Amino acid sequence: MPNSNKYTEAELVTLLKESNEDAFSYLYDCYSAALYGVILKVLSDKILAEDVLQESFLKIWKNIQSYDPEKGRLFTWMIQITRNLTIDTVRSKAHKKQMKIQNVENLVSQSEASKHGREAFDAMGIRKQVNLLNKDHQQLIDLAFFNGFTQKEISERLSIPLGTIKSRMRSAIQELKNIVIRKV
Amino acid sequence: MKKEEFILSGLLEQYALGAVTPEESVIVESFLSQYPDLKKELDLIEVALENYALQNAQIPDSSVKQKLMVNLFSDKNTEEQHSNNAKIGGSSSAVAPVVIENKIHSFYKMASAAMLVLLIGSIAFGYYFYNQNEDTRNKLDLVQQSLDEQQKRNIFLTDNLNIVTDKYTQNVVMKGTPQSPDAIAKIFWMKNTGQVYVDFMNLPAPPSGKQYQLWAIIDGKPVDAGMISSEKAAYSIQKMKSFGKADAFAITLENSGGSPTPTMSEMVVISEM
Repeated sequence: MPNSNKYTEAELVTLLKESNEDAFSYLYDCYSAALYGVILKVLSDKILAEDVLQESFLKIWKNIQSYDPEKGRLFTWMIQITRNLTIDTVRSKAHKKQMKIQNVENLVSQSEASKHGREAFDAMGIRKQVNLLNKDHQQLIDLAFFNGFTQKEISERLSIPLGTIKSRMRSAIQELKNIVIRKV
Repeated sequence: MKKEEFILSGLLEQYALGAVTPEESVIVESFLSQYPDLKKELDLIEVALENYALQNAQIPDSSVKQKLMVNLFSDKNTEEQHSNNAKIGGSSSAVAPVVIENKIHSFYKMASAAMLVLLIGSIAFGYYFYNQNEDTRNKLDLVQQSLDEQQKRNIFLTDNLNIVTDKYTQNVVMKGTPQSPDAIAKIFWMKNTGQVYVDFMNLPAPPSGKQYQLWAIIDGKPVDAGMISSEKAAYSIQKMKSFGKADAFAITLENSGGSPTPTMSEMVVISEM
């Protein structure tokens, strides 16, 4: 969690639910870069991505009352709101027409885009992290986490049996967990 | 479903990825509320995924935050927001108006800018092509005019040629008289129809007030065969009166309009009798 010195997550949620302006400003400062990165994983158009980012924070703000810490972490909840708005944008008719070809390219060039993102983030000195995830696992996580595909869709898309996808997905997440544990 | 089955199903991971159906998420949430260790496991998975997401972080333009803060906290909005928040809870529909309005706004801005550029462009093009078109049309008119003239002339010359080369045409040469030795004129006399044409190209231009008159000499008497136009074209022959028979032809210079009898002293050319 970036810069979680000012508030604990529980404090932050409480303040947000009280519509505290400072808490929102803090929330934005902490998470906007991460959420913008999530959007840019799928949308290459930066202007459009900023629109989606703004829309995401509006939705987070308006829906904060429905956030339940028992059901998951705040950041994950925010990522999912952002991810879903991004997918809605990609799937909206007008955008589909315009970006049909580009989306295919995005899927292909994602690993490159993430490299750029990482560099930008590292340059800010906010976080240093070595990506230890292998390429196959990375592709699975990206398709599920950023592009919002179900395991069945991923199986069809990659022409890999569903059972294989399921087991690979679990080991990919296990790998991610190990990275975090090693770091700690 | 037992806890072990649930763990093996991979639903918890899918839940963290946001890839479960509403029915599945009900199942996951019921397990989470029953087993605190599953909640801990979920936290671990979520932290792992959050970390992964952070690797792609990019700083957005500062204008995004400015817009958001204005949108949410400029004095009028704040109170509305409070009441909205209390009311809507989980509903997402309340977000839409603000955002859509913004999008439409910037869309229209962009669209109108694009339209303006297009408009100016099309006016410039229109003006350019209008000029071009006018120019072309003028040129075309000139060409058409000249073509018409050429065509007329062509028909005229073809007619002349047909007369001159007709198998029935008899050529009669009229030579200069002693007072105008250089003058020469020709008669093309179509013997089948009696039509008489005169080629007066080699006659000197008549003085003003004067006009050439053609005469046919029949049985020793001059008969008026018509006045010769004073206008000279590049090459032309002129149709005169018709004669079935004539012994000779002569041209005299007369006062404009002609004379009933030839002025013998002004005779310029005459054919052999």
